[in-house]
Amino acid sequence: MAGLIETMGISASGMSSQSERLRHVSENVANADTPGYRRKIISFEAAVKDGESTGKVQTGSVKLDPSVLERVFDPAHPLADDSGHYDGSNVDLVLELADAREAQRSYEANLKLFDQARQMSTKLLELLRR
Amino acid sequence: MFEQLELLRLADAMARHASDRQSVIARNVANADTPGYRSRDLPDFSEIYSASSAKEMRATRSGHLSETNVQSIEASSFDAPGATSPNGNTVSLEVEMVRAAEVRQSYDIALGVYSTSLDMLRSALGRR
Repeated sequence: MAGLIETMGISASGMSSQSERLRHVSENVANADTPGYRRKIISFEAAVKDGESTGKVQTGSVKLDPSVLERVFDPAHPLADDSGHYDGSNVDLVLELADAREAQRSYEANLKLFDQARQMSTKLLELLRR
Repeated sequence: MFEQLELLRLADAMARHASDRQSVIARNVANADTPGYRSRDLPDFSEIYSASSAKEMRATRSGHLSETNVQSIEASSFDAPGATSPNGNTVSLEVEMVRAAEVRQSYDIALGVYSTSLDMLRSALGRR
């Protein structure tokens, strides 16, 4: 029983990490047209407590994508330099959508396992109730 | 009567194994996007059970007592490699789903055996 509760905790950590990831993806998409915006990327890492791996997952620190910013030609823009260009963002919408889809898929898998662990513990309790 | 208890112990060990395996699978799925994470799995219950009963002491007379200690079965997880993605992660969600279905099935079997054995004990006691 304790093992099943722990299992549910692990699945919940997976779900919260995936939703954190989706949050950054939507941040990137929302700022796709912000001049000078660099897309944010997060990585997952194993959660460690007292020097031991707990099996849970957590998100690492947010990093900025170092790839070059898009140069947009628009002489009328207030940020435009002498050549009439200004720095756009380096967000690639196709990439963000793929990332969002992957996050959703992993979230669903975690949810399914969470539900299964819950059903297993319910079944165990039903055995006691009789 | 005591065979019954042995059966209960076996069902208990099987359910325990299923919930341990569920935990390993949940760990794999939670880390499905962690770079460098390697997928793990537990051996089948039947394998562990036959391995543990092989260690049993030999009985040469009927007076010798022996007991299969199913309670103490503890499986250690092993590396179960799948397709490796570019970031070194070997978890495949599809394979994990199949494993989860297997766990579900063996857990249901174990609980079914347990509750039926309890029913039999109850009816042996003359209760309904």
